[in-house]
Amino acid sequence: MRALSIAWKDVRHVYRDVAGLAMMLVAPLVLSFALGAAFGAGDSFSIPPVKTVVVDQDGGAGAGAPAAGALIAETLDGPEIADLLTVTRADTPEAARADVDSGEAGVAVIIPQGLSTALMGTGSAQVEVYKDPTLDIGPAIVTSVVQSVVQSLDGARAAALSSVQLATSLGVTDPTELSGLAGSTAEAFGAKAGATAPITLEERAPVTPGAEAPKQPNVASQVLLGMMVFFMLFGASAPARSILDEHREGTLARLFTTPTSRSVILGGKYIAVFLVVLIQSTILLLAGRFLLGADWGELGPVIALTLTGALCAASLGLVTVSFARTPAQAGAVSSAIFVFLGLISGNFVGTANIEGPFATARRVSPLGWLLEGWGNVLYGGSWGSIALPLLAVLAFTLVFFIVASLFFRRRYA
Amino acid sequence: MEAIVVEKLRKQFDPPKGPVAVDDVSFQIDEGEIFSLLGPNGAGKTTTISILSCLLRPDSGEARVGGFSVTREADEVKRLIGVVPQDIALYEDLSGRENLMFWGRMYGMSGAQLNKRVDEVLELIGLVDRQKDRVEKYSGGMKRRVNIGAALLHKPRFLYLDEPTVGIDPQSRRSILDGVKDLNAAGVTVLYTTHYMEEAQELSDRIGIMDQGVMVAVGTQADLVRMVGEQTRIDLALDRHGAALAGQWREFPGVSTVSEPEDGRVWLLVDDANTLMPRLFDSARTAGARITEINLAEPNLEMVFLHLTGRALRD
Repeated sequence: MRALSIAWKDVRHVYRDVAGLAMMLVAPLVLSFALGAAFGAGDSFSIPPVKTVVVDQDGGAGAGAPAAGALIAETLDGPEIADLLTVTRADTPEAARADVDSGEAGVAVIIPQGLSTALMGTGSAQVEVYKDPTLDIGPAIVTSVVQSVVQSLDGARAAALSSVQLATSLGVTDPTELSGLAGSTAEAFGAKAGATAPITLEERAPVTPGAEAPKQPNVASQVLLGMMVFFMLFGASAPARSILDEHREGTLARLFTTPTSRSVILGGKYIAVFLVVLIQSTILLLAGRFLLGADWGELGPVIALTLTGALCAASLGLVTVSFARTPAQAGAVSSAIFVFLGLISGNFVGTANIEGPFATARRVSPLGWLLEGWGNVLYGGSWGSIALPLLAVLAFTLVFFIVASLFFRRRYA
Repeated sequence: MEAIVVEKLRKQFDPPKGPVAVDDVSFQIDEGEIFSLLGPNGAGKTTTISILSCLLRPDSGEARVGGFSVTREADEVKRLIGVVPQDIALYEDLSGRENLMFWGRMYGMSGAQLNKRVDEVLELIGLVDRQKDRVEKYSGGMKRRVNIGAALLHKPRFLYLDEPTVGIDPQSRRSILDGVKDLNAAGVTVLYTTHYMEEAQELSDRIGIMDQGVMVAVGTQADLVRMVGEQTRIDLALDRHGAALAGQWREFPGVSTVSEPEDGRVWLLVDDANTLMPRLFDSARTAGARITEINLAEPNLEMVFLHLTGRALRD
């Protein structure tokens, strides 16, 4: 009861401090919004669709042969890559190039007359990809699509020639029969090639134990996780410093003259720090869910990670305060420690980008373990994927709490 | 009946070279009396009260409050005492009522009992109308009253007040002194520290005079004044030659103490002021100086302190 009274008083004190609230809540959200906007707020790392102008001058190669120009144009305008390209048509190559020159479009694809004939005969034709020189990714996608279609048409031609040669070797000499065979073979090959999208984009999530259904978190949610875990420490720091504030203002000494034990006083302080961080992280998680569209994952593990994170932040906050003599000193020391931990734990690079040796190295920090757990849940992991991170974070928490208690008892013996 | 017993207390900060704040201090306080510790800043009053509040452990010696040892039975002692610290120890961002509710909970009170007691204390300290205002908006005197009220919530048997009137207006000071007398009349034993002689004289049944960590005298005001006999204090202002004249006057018969001159002002403790004053004027005239102001004071605690330590209380 007395510990809760102390905790309630401290929590109220923290939530009356506007500057502190800005640090705890506004800063991580603003950073996440900013970085999410910079890298796209969609379901994955994304780029805006490339405006593409297509000029199709190809008239086809006659009955039975695939119309190569139309196939290229349809593929570029297909639903599979609608997120990547926005396709419009132009009547002449000059108009298409003018669109690129004026910035109306990023890429122009100019399909020459006779492309289909060239593919079926012995002539040659060249598809022109006219691009804005300042763009890289968009033109590369367009070029890749066109190459893919042309390659499939090349395959159709090769298949038709092969079938004609095979028929000839088997004694078929009727030109009409051979022409029909070549046409149907090319059509069948073209249909087969066209049935499959020329480009498939696949994002792979880290394979984590217990991950039953890998999913793709959006950028903002990944950024927010790192920021949330980092700013939780600052959230913990303010109420933890209240020990030093109360020491300076004489209320701690006065508390010691009451029949309230030092353990209860420290316990009250710890509960206050825990509650402040818990409220902070809950608000940030909800804001991430409703403002950034974050899907944090399975509820049980999310709650477990939130509670464990708050416990760890509270213990770490008290430890950093226990080394200091004044609130100002505590602020400086704890900020330095928190930034260092944030750097080695990967708080500033997003959970998705941690792999290789760094993923192992960051386990020296409780934040590293916490982010690992959060990352696993974010990518669809369940209890199995967070068991080890949770245990590691709890071990850190216990050590921090013991150290803080010893310092507190020694200083105020 | 002895309610508080202090025997040979010693406390040194940062030993072995740190200052000895309290050195071999002994006294006792009887049930129901007001006992004042009088002395200048640094005399050891706050250290003594901190030991009796279980905030500091003495290096040696023993203190018992209500029969309980402050070192071995601190919890029992804390239930009996109410401590009013020298500096305001309140939460500025809480209202007066919220502060009292909080401190009441720290003494184990709750619910209707706590609410009722907070109402009583607010009435006692005269802050019923301002109870919902944050303490940061209170005047210094109002803060002092809440500071005292927070120590009264659990109806302590012993009340310690450590310089409770420092830095407040005369009206608030009067209110606090009257409040202490009322509490004492209601049966509370009071330990009061001050460096204001007038407060000690007005309030105290007995007084302990401390200086530089040592208890130099303990007794009633009458007992202490008798220590300086029938001496009178003469305060003088000279226009010149203060140092030379002070040295000359120390040799006069019937003069026990002469202070070092400060801004032309000198004080003397003398046996018979009527006989001595003409000689003082004569010697000043002979030295070419002029006495521009002279005051006589009957024996009081200030003179006791001067007599015992050779220094003024305000030093």
